Amino acid sequence: MSRLAAALVVLSTTFLGAAFAATLEVDVRDPAGKPVADTAVFATPASGGTEARPGKVVEIQQIDREFVPYLSVIQTGTTATFPNRDPILHHVYSFSPAKSFEIKLYTGRSPSAVTFDKPGVVTLGCNIHDWMIGYVLVVSTPHFAKTDASGTVQLRDLPAGTYEVQAWHPRLREPLAPVNVSVDAAAVRSVGFTVDALPRKAKYKPPLDRLKY
Amino acid sequence: MANQEEGGAHLRLNNLGTRIVLFFVALLVLVQGLGAFLVIQANSQIARQTMDQELEQGERVFKQLLVQNQARLEQGAGILSADFAFRQAIATNETGTILSVLRNHGARVGANVMTLASLDNVIRADTLDADRIGKPFAAPDLIRIAAVEGRASSIVIREGKLYQLVVVPVLAPEPIAWVGLAFEVDDAVAKDLHQLTGLEVTFASRVEGPWHLHASTLAPELRLSLESALAGEEGVTANLVEVSGEQYETRVVPLETRPDKRVVAILQKQLQVGLAPFRRISASFFWLTLAGLILLVAGSLIIAGGITRPVHRLAEAARRVQQGDYTRHVDVENRDEIGQLAVSFNHMLDGIVSREKEILRLAYEDGLTGLPNRAMFYEQLEQAARLAKRGGHSVSVMLLDMDRFKAINDTLGHTVGDQALREVGARVRKALRESDVVARLGGDEFAVLLATGGADAPKVVAEKIHKALEDPLVIDGQSMDMAASIGIARFGEHGEEADALLRAADVAMYEAKRTKSRYAIYDPAHDERRQEFLTLLGELRRAVDAGELVLHYQPKMSLVEDRVTSVEALVRWRHPERGLVGPSDFIPFAEQTGYISAITRWVLARAIEQCGVWERTGLRIRMCVNISARDLRLEDELVHAISVDLQAAELPAGMLCLEITESALMEDPRVAQVTLRKLRELGIATSIDDYGTGYSSLAYIKQLAVNELKIDRAFVAGMEADQRNAAIVRSTIELGHNLGLTVVAEGVETDHELAELRRYGCDAAQGYLFARPMPAAALERWLSGARDKPPGARADILGEV
Repeated sequence: MSRLAAALVVLSTTFLGAAFAATLEVDVRDPAGKPVADTAVFATPASGGTEARPGKVVEIQQIDREFVPYLSVIQTGTTATFPNRDPILHHVYSFSPAKSFEIKLYTGRSPSAVTFDKPGVVTLGCNIHDWMIGYVLVVSTPHFAKTDASGTVQLRDLPAGTYEVQAWHPRLREPLAPVNVSVDAAAVRSVGFTVDALPRKAKYKPPLDRLKY
Repeated sequence: MANQEEGGAHLRLNNLGTRIVLFFVALLVLVQGLGAFLVIQANSQIARQTMDQELEQGERVFKQLLVQNQARLEQGAGILSADFAFRQAIATNETGTILSVLRNHGARVGANVMTLASLDNVIRADTLDADRIGKPFAAPDLIRIAAVEGRASSIVIREGKLYQLVVVPVLAPEPIAWVGLAFEVDDAVAKDLHQLTGLEVTFASRVEGPWHLHASTLAPELRLSLESALAGEEGVTANLVEVSGEQYETRVVPLETRPDKRVVAILQKQLQVGLAPFRRISASFFWLTLAGLILLVAGSLIIAGGITRPVHRLAEAARRVQQGDYTRHVDVENRDEIGQLAVSFNHMLDGIVSREKEILRLAYEDGLTGLPNRAMFYEQLEQAARLAKRGGHSVSVMLLDMDRFKAINDTLGHTVGDQALREVGARVRKALRESDVVARLGGDEFAVLLATGGADAPKVVAEKIHKALEDPLVIDGQSMDMAASIGIARFGEHGEEADALLRAADVAMYEAKRTKSRYAIYDPAHDERRQEFLTLLGELRRAVDAGELVLHYQPKMSLVEDRVTSVEALVRWRHPERGLVGPSDFIPFAEQTGYISAITRWVLARAIEQCGVWERTGLRIRMCVNISARDLRLEDELVHAISVDLQAAELPAGMLCLEITESALMEDPRVAQVTLRKLRELGIATSIDDYGTGYSSLAYIKQLAVNELKIDRAFVAGMEADQRNAAIVRSTIELGHNLGLTVVAEGVETDHELAELRRYGCDAAQGYLFARPMPAAALERWLSGARDKPPGARADILGEV
């Protein structure tokens, strides 16, 4: 009942927000001033987090023995499938406290879907390919995005209000402090983050041999 | 005694065999010793090098092993940490499960202690000590390294134990925790390393205080010893460490070198063990040498025996020879050098035997006649004398001396003389029985030993000998008479010893000679006579000085002029006790002793002086003086003395005439010839006295520078009785005249003789018919009285003498 009520609140807010949509532009750069990709940016309303609507599904594929995407940002309650595009088996797992699961050796369509019901970082691994690593950031807000090579991302349609804006990168040296931002309708606010992250570690991956893995 | 010496000789150093053995043994010992020295030196050098190499190699292997071991442990740890179930269990965050999976998976890789630490270095679980939970991880530096490298390892000490600690992250797939795997470095590890490196391996650490041994392949008691050897801050620095009295080559590999924590691995090799192969070589060498030595000694003994045994045999044979045993030859075994020596030795032995026989023959045989010699005769005589003493049968000794042999030797030469002696020896030998011994004692002296027969046997034998020598000897076509004077001595009667018998026979022989008899049997009176003469001789020496000698003169009547033309000076000895002694009693002995020279000198001086006295008183008479054979030999002395005397007497040389007997001339014809010539050169007349008794040939006489021949009285005295003697006298006179010599007849005693001599043409005569020898004064008187008286009527005057 409370869940239903909460859903209604979100719906109404969104609906209402749509009427007074604001945009938050977030620019992520490293200390040298270069844009940083693969950084998750999310804004949590001061009023509290919300869960996604049920049925929301994302795909985290395995292509050429890599998780694609490397970083997925999802709202709590989102279900993820892990389709295997490789001609070999994978064994996807996570021991992260936010979500611990495993999908034992399979190929093609994901034999089961995983619903991420708790916010947090879920680190994905493959039990038979140690170098494979992927991240799922589960957030309790629908306002989230991921930077591309430009390092800039826009959070659109934000209902006016106060938000706690956070940025997260898998290889952050230090956690970043959240930034509180109040947005008005039709206004564009810009927020900058300086991300000091380790470079993505290039783990050794044996060359793909069509006959042997 | 000799055998003992021989036995002892085997042990002596100067023994040949011993020396051979010693030489070879010394040689082998020297060579092997040198070899051993070099081998041992080289060995020990090689051994050290080998050990150094082994240790170095061991060290390298050890270090490699450590790296590999670490890698293996790290890999193991990596695999472990990547294990899904492990990670899953860790992710549960349940302490019990985590501890359980740590134990389980730790056991899989053989880790002794497993520790789980959170990413912020807080221990979450520890299989050894639960109290550590919540405490910080002891090796945060390892975690730091592992965060970068993905793994890290180090040597750690925990509760006194040494561990290889490996820290790896638990990846999911990002690190979610750190897991530490501690592998204890214990004896088993050391043993594994030992098996791979061949070295003793010890792990030791020093945190605070003394060094501590954690693991080792050494025996427990050695560990303690090594621990104490590791005293000091630096631990082991030397390469050679003594542990419990054993030398160890040592290398130290630092594993952890922090100032507050030092961990080392000590690698060691026992010198004894390292040197063992070389010790084995040395031992082999030693045994080889020993075996060689034994073989060598045995071989040398055999060879030495092979040499010395025959040598000993030869030495023994030589000793036998030394002792006079020539009968046994040495056995010749081999044809080698020693065998040849033995053959030569046997030849030598034969040579010695034959030479000894020859020496014996020479020693006991007279080389000329082949008869036994004096030595042999003496031995046989001694033997016969001994037998005679026991058996009592008669033994006689006869000594033979050839008459006038010297004359033969001198005139006809020694070759003829030797042949004559041989012939005499052969004849005497032939004349006697086989059992009688005939020997030549030397010169012309022979001896006969009669060991059988009665007392008369010697006489019979003497007659036989004379008979055997009766026929003249014919040698080289020359015939000569040979007679012997024989002296006989009988065993018992004349002596019992060989010496005595020989002396007696000698005396008898001289008696026979003196008496001109065929033989004489020894008579003690002979000895006395001889003694008497010896005394006489002693006295004679003084006689000249004492003025005991006097001269008597016998006139020589010239038959041509019928008057006394010369006198012959004759010496007399007016002995203080015996009275007047005739020349025949002392002149022969004076001749034998050589004293005759002094007498002759005196006679010459006295006679010449007398002649001078007469000359000065108007009495012109030639003086004739007798000269002996010995005087002739002193030719220069004689000639000088005469000329001095003549000068002193102021007498012309022609007034002196020297009379020399024919036999004296024959004794040494060469000297006689020279002397006579010298005398004649002086102008002195010479006369051959007693002509006819010698054996001088006319050819010889002709060569002599003489003026006169005096026919021996024997021929003159025999003229009446034997016509042959008359013929000799007559032919001698004719002969003398033919040679240009005057001839004088001696010993004229009858008128008949005188008449015959006149008839034959004899130049002069001398004898009792005219006058006996008389002192000078008597002669002077006789001459004054006899001048007118015819010969034969002078008995009164003769009677005066």
